[in-house]
Amino acid sequence: MTQPAIFFAEVNERQGLFHRRAILLGAFAGIGISALGARLAYLQLFQTQRYEKLAVSNQFNFKLAPAPRGVIVDRNGAVLAANRPNFRLMVARDKGSDTEGVLKSLANFVPLDDARQRRLLKDIHNAPKRAPVPVMEDMSWEQFSAINVRAPELPGVTADVGEVRVYPHGGAFAHVIGYVAKVNREDIDDTPNPEPIMLHPGFRIGKQGVEKALDAALRGRAGAHKVEVDANGREVGHDVDGDIPAVPGDEVQLTLDVDIQNRALEVFGEESGGAVMMDCRNGDILCMSSAPSFDANRFVRGLTGPEYRALAGYERKPLLDKCLTGLYPPGSTFKTMTALAILNAGIDPEARVSCGGGMNFGGRYFHCHKRGGHGSQNLHEAIKNSCDTYFYSMSLRVGPDRIAQAARAFGLGQTFDIGIPGQKKGTVPDPAWKKRYFSKNEAQQPWWPGENLSYAIGQGYLQVNALQLAVMTARLANGLKALNPRLIKSVGGKERPKGSDGPDLPFPTDHIERVRAGMAAVTDQAQGGTAWRNSQLGLGDILMAGKTGTAQVRNYDSGGSRGKGGTWGLRDHGLFVAFAPIDAPRYAIAVIVQHGMGGGAAAAPRAREIMRTALLKDPELMSRIQKPVPMPPLVADPELDTVPAVSNVERPV
Amino acid sequence: MTVSALTRPGERDRLIVKLSELDWVFVLVLSLIAGAGALMLFSIAGSSWTPWAAAHVARFGICLLMMIALAMIDIRVWFALAYPIYGLGLLLLVAVEAVGDIRLGAQRWLSIGSFSFQPSEVMKLGIVLALARLYHGVSAERARLSWWLLIPAMMIGVPVLLVAHQPDLGTAMLIALTGAAIVMLAGLSWKIIGAAVVGALAVIPPFVLFGMHDYQRQRVLTFLDPESDPSGSGYHILQSMIALGSGGLLGKGYGLGSQSQLNFLPEKQTDFIFATLAEEFGFVGCVSLLILYAAAIFMALRTSYLSHSHFGRLGAAGVTATFTLYVMINGAMVMGLAPVVGVPMPMLSYGGTVMLTVMIGFGLVQSVRVHRYAEVTSGKGSFV
Repeated sequence: MTQPAIFFAEVNERQGLFHRRAILLGAFAGIGISALGARLAYLQLFQTQRYEKLAVSNQFNFKLAPAPRGVIVDRNGAVLAANRPNFRLMVARDKGSDTEGVLKSLANFVPLDDARQRRLLKDIHNAPKRAPVPVMEDMSWEQFSAINVRAPELPGVTADVGEVRVYPHGGAFAHVIGYVAKVNREDIDDTPNPEPIMLHPGFRIGKQGVEKALDAALRGRAGAHKVEVDANGREVGHDVDGDIPAVPGDEVQLTLDVDIQNRALEVFGEESGGAVMMDCRNGDILCMSSAPSFDANRFVRGLTGPEYRALAGYERKPLLDKCLTGLYPPGSTFKTMTALAILNAGIDPEARVSCGGGMNFGGRYFHCHKRGGHGSQNLHEAIKNSCDTYFYSMSLRVGPDRIAQAARAFGLGQTFDIGIPGQKKGTVPDPAWKKRYFSKNEAQQPWWPGENLSYAIGQGYLQVNALQLAVMTARLANGLKALNPRLIKSVGGKERPKGSDGPDLPFPTDHIERVRAGMAAVTDQAQGGTAWRNSQLGLGDILMAGKTGTAQVRNYDSGGSRGKGGTWGLRDHGLFVAFAPIDAPRYAIAVIVQHGMGGGAAAAPRAREIMRTALLKDPELMSRIQKPVPMPPLVADPELDTVPAVSNVERPV
Repeated sequence: MTVSALTRPGERDRLIVKLSELDWVFVLVLSLIAGAGALMLFSIAGSSWTPWAAAHVARFGICLLMMIALAMIDIRVWFALAYPIYGLGLLLLVAVEAVGDIRLGAQRWLSIGSFSFQPSEVMKLGIVLALARLYHGVSAERARLSWWLLIPAMMIGVPVLLVAHQPDLGTAMLIALTGAAIVMLAGLSWKIIGAAVVGALAVIPPFVLFGMHDYQRQRVLTFLDPESDPSGSGYHILQSMIALGSGGLLGKGYGLGSQSQLNFLPEKQTDFIFATLAEEFGFVGCVSLLILYAAAIFMALRTSYLSHSHFGRLGAAGVTATFTLYVMINGAMVMGLAPVVGVPMPMLSYGGTVMLTVMIGFGLVQSVRVHRYAEVTSGKGSFV
């Protein structure tokens, strides 16, 4: 380095050039950084609100929470369907989570066998990521707290408290109230605008009866929890103040009475059938019981395959509602209608028919149920003795149209707006109906006079359900109004219209009075009616009037046991309709004992027990029952100078 | 120490004098930036020194010591090593073509034992040194407009093409722009600059459409309309802008940024750390940080002014240009002004490679400052 590195002039030129260009670089950097600052100002000072909104919508999610389902109560406020806390265990899968290992660890706290673990693993795998899959319901408090304590070591596991439907009376209301269950594909497809809450794992939908019919009211409006989530959707916090409260479902009050309903199921025992009781002043249904029944709580939890097969396969059909869906020939209970038709035809009720055990008609012998015959019968006696021959004979003078007119006026062959689905109309035949029914088969269309005979005693094409029989009896007992049954008293505190708001019955009161007198004789010991042995209430001067019915389920012409024994499915149905008290009717009841044989023996005592429960619960009637019997006048005993013991004076209970 | 003492021959070669000649304000500014980085890394780890903040501080400490050590190295040693470093960088780039590891779909990494690094980082510094060395011995006339300019053009072009082939468009662009900056600082004629700008504008659109890999084109197209695909490739830009915008004037508070703390912000500890700072400290915090970066840039640029050698001027200015490009590209990307390219914010982002490169570069800048009066050989036609 002996000589100067570069010529001075050149040095100056290069240096000067560099300095000018370096200023440009500095200016460029300055402009660039200012531009960044301007951009920041635009984003952070002028667009803040927009991006704040976006940040909040990133940060918070609303998680739906089902509303508490509305409670269902009986006419006195006793709870028929309620909710109780349910400790649930759920597992969701996430990126990189070891679901299999998690399930294995869970098996230490709750019973999860290998087969169930495998099935759950598949369910969890098929579910969307981070969607919780229920693993166990109804854990005990110990299980719930043990898992909650260990939650940090169990990724994807949540144990929370939900609500589960509970039916405290088990099976007694199963057919009326129905049950709730998990939402399935069809439920969503059937709903025009499915709410998002339907996809919530804790949500249950009404599947039968009141739960289904009033589902919208019972459901309430779902609320939401405001939760803080991270970018992967994991919940990291809960903003309690931001929660949207759920609106609980409406309370539904039924007209049913829990004591009467429970008693009805009780008295059926092992038998199959239905019992419907109505208040014959206002149409309220106090009892609508179908036996045998099933425990609705099991359906809430979800039936196992064998459980369902056992219920569906049992010949006494516990899943069938025998009050609304089951159709039966009314048998002799229908003679009340035939009697009204006879009176309506202008036939003198005192006109007599001689019963010698049956009658010949159209080349066929029509038996009376009493082989020996009843002798000479007028209308009153014919009802009391349920004499078939009288009604056979009269039916030929009355004709099917009049009988059908009476039946329809009293509620047979129709459905009622009681607010729950499943009612069958049944059949009230007449020549016009038959022509319609056999429109494809002309040979079957004419109404044969012989059909009048079966019709008159409640057989043939005639089919009714227990509710219709109860309405018929209630209308007879009321005597004035064409009562409609009412099952749902109020929804959310709003009362539904009463059943007595309808029109009057199109029959003169004295006709109805005559039929009722006949029904009173049926249960009267002094007159020896068909049901007097099994229809004594034992409640002092409060008496029950009724009509028995024994309905054939097959034609006996081929001989055999006449339905009094043998194979259960071939036995006669036993029916009984009744009302009480006779002097001021309050309650009307219809009881059908499927294949129970003999209305007087199978159905009447059950009707009596249910009726007693209703009467004893009625405070006005109780005061009448408990009214002290006047003291018998004291007769001085010349031999004993003492007062006789009061204890021999019978006091009704 | 008096001014007259520094004029004494040999006085400036003493270590204590060299240390006193370091720009300590510059060191303070760099430390503040790195400190801000550590602060944010601590916040986004959920108030934890692990996994990032402690490592960041330790790395910066080591890099700072290294920078000071490099500043002590005589500028003439840098001068002598300029071509060898560039040559080594070229060799490594060729080697990575042949035997490099493929990570994330690109062949960028070279492993030596358990240590792996990206040769393109060596080239970032190599191109600055080599061009400064080349222009040191060249007249202003040639540097302005002559056929000789083909030599620097090739020196830039070859490594850029090698890096672009890996493919690492971000680094290739950075090397190309750094080289272009030095060529311009050395006095390139405005005619050529104008022609190059026009040429680039004509070439870029067809290149985007036909010359790019799919993911590269996607990034560019997404940048043009980030909200067209908010959950897909537009996600990064959109989430970053949400973090920035929702920060507002004063920010959400330290440790309270929902976008950063809840992982909505992607790559929050590296490329998008600026957005986490923006979210938690708002406009005020961002502007403060930009002022620190501007201060660092202008101090480094001023150093190039002080140098008495052309090598020193161009070297310091070249490093400054690289640093400026980093800040501008990352800033523009985070603010939604540029496509997503993997360029971190120097000193702020977590990650050793870029910090190492930048701090070595600043070692050269400080060496230029310490040795600003040193006489560097003409080096005309010489490769020593």
